[in-house]
Amino acid sequence: MPHVRLIVARCEVAYTGRLTTVLPEALRLLMIKSDGSVMVHADTGGYKPQNWMTPPTVIEEEEGLLVVRKRAGKTEDRIEIRITQVLSDVTHDMGEAAALEKDGVEAHIQEALADAPHFCGEGFRLVRREWPTDIGPVDLMCRDTADGWIAVEIKRVATIDAVEQLTRYLDRIRIDPAMADCRGVLAAQQIKPQARTLAEARGIACVEVDLAVVRGEREPELLLF
Amino acid sequence: MKITTTHNDLLERLQTVARVASTRSAIQALSGVQISAGPEGVELRATDMEIGLRTPLAAEVERPGEVVLPARLLLEIVRRLGGAAVELELRPEHQDVEIVSGTARFQVRTLRAEDFPLLPSTDGEHTVAMPAQAFTETINRVSRSASRDETRPILTGVLVSVDGPSLRMVATDSYRLSVKQTQLETAIANGFEANVPARALEELGRLVTTGTETITIGVTANQVIFHIGNVVLSSRLIDGQFPNHSQLIPEAFDHELTVETTEILEVVERISLMAQKNAPLRLSFTPGELRVSAQTPDVGEASDVLPIPFTGEPFEIGFNAEFLTAGLQSAGSPQVILKLISPLRPGLIESADGSGFLYLIMPIRLNV
Repeated sequence: MPHVRLIVARCEVAYTGRLTTVLPEALRLLMIKSDGSVMVHADTGGYKPQNWMTPPTVIEEEEGLLVVRKRAGKTEDRIEIRITQVLSDVTHDMGEAAALEKDGVEAHIQEALADAPHFCGEGFRLVRREWPTDIGPVDLMCRDTADGWIAVEIKRVATIDAVEQLTRYLDRIRIDPAMADCRGVLAAQQIKPQARTLAEARGIACVEVDLAVVRGEREPELLLF
Repeated sequence: MKITTTHNDLLERLQTVARVASTRSAIQALSGVQISAGPEGVELRATDMEIGLRTPLAAEVERPGEVVLPARLLLEIVRRLGGAAVELELRPEHQDVEIVSGTARFQVRTLRAEDFPLLPSTDGEHTVAMPAQAFTETINRVSRSASRDETRPILTGVLVSVDGPSLRMVATDSYRLSVKQTQLETAIANGFEANVPARALEELGRLVTTGTETITIGVTANQVIFHIGNVVLSSRLIDGQFPNHSQLIPEAFDHELTVETTEILEVVERISLMAQKNAPLRLSFTPGELRVSAQTPDVGEASDVLPIPFTGEPFEIGFNAEFLTAGLQSAGSPQVILKLISPLRPGLIESADGSGFLYLIMPIRLNV
């Protein structure tokens, strides 16, 4: 089972490799992960270690000395940690690692809007997700109450690039005479002002969506229009 | 360029124009004030490309020329000068302007004068004269409803319409809508309609003093130019379709209540102290009584009661405290008429003196 070792110790850290550095003796947190990662933290400097070595590493330990080595091409990277006082030395069984779960990514917005396409425009109904074009799939293809086609491009944050991307899709889609009148909608949690200006200049509608509202987790704000 | 002016005049004029100079433009010259000295006199100019301001400066011109100096730095320098007279001289060989007042000497590097844009002007044919006080009073009643959200530029403006003896301004941020219709004493011959940035109108409000009787307004295809005495304020117009406000105002309301403005405003302002972090202000109507309450988790709660001529089934409606306060403050009449339909339909605040002010406000959902 994976273990992590945390040592709080007064130590001096010397690195030799592509350059030479020394961290003078001070109280530090040494973190040694089961995959061979070694990090030397101070209580300042944010999340970033003062010194570290990524796996694969060889860790050798003797009284008052911890040596971490790693081959780096023809040379060797080496951290020597000289420990003068150990305040704490604990090892924890970390169990199985669970991957980071993100909510609100593009795929989630697409999924939510596919279930509730009316948030992209009144009366919209979904025809297909990932509608194929010869330059890539458009996120949603919908039809409105008058059976008009609408290509919906979905972003978390829509920039000018998103407008350009949707414009390219529309150019390809409109080659088919049956879809010559296909309109475009750019749907995003946030639309940058420049993207909105460019989209409107090209006749592309912009819709800002709130994922919690689309999912029905929260009532929408009341607006005059 | 070499000019001599008085300290007071220069400070006063710089304070006026420096506000307009850009604070975040990539073009350095836009953070400057242009000093233009010619045979007609001296003019100070500043612009951020949206708003432009020109104001004359009484000065003796020894050598004509144009120069652009950092606006805020120049203002700070002039503010701290001790002498009664100030001399400004361009030294092209040093690319700076020497400012001398009393025993103090400053040498300030100039900004690229060629980057400073030409400010628009009217040809004089398409201008209208407008009573200054009526115009700015109308601005003050509506401009707070204009949106500050740059992602919806159309809503950052105030729709100004002049038609005969009628001046109307409309502003909305989609949560509330302000309309003020002002009857002018004399009809205006050349009417116009334009979406003017609220920022420009608020600047105009600052420039109009109690002594200003008339302002001249010129509207071109994409610019509006205001003459306030010898100061010229120009602004770009906002392009696009402004929301049709008359469609947004409900034709009928279920409740119409006339209340003293100061009484309800005092209660609303008092209880709003506990409507923090977007918490709504609750208005509970029961026969003869209005209870205003607010609650903010981890802060506290408050309530107050106001006698009110309400009849019918009790109901409760929530409003954004700031928006409701702004509406009541802007009514500008001793009494207001509150018009309501239901907890999820817009409410209307109307000035009861027939001064033509309407404030439509969307409620906030109350989770019981």
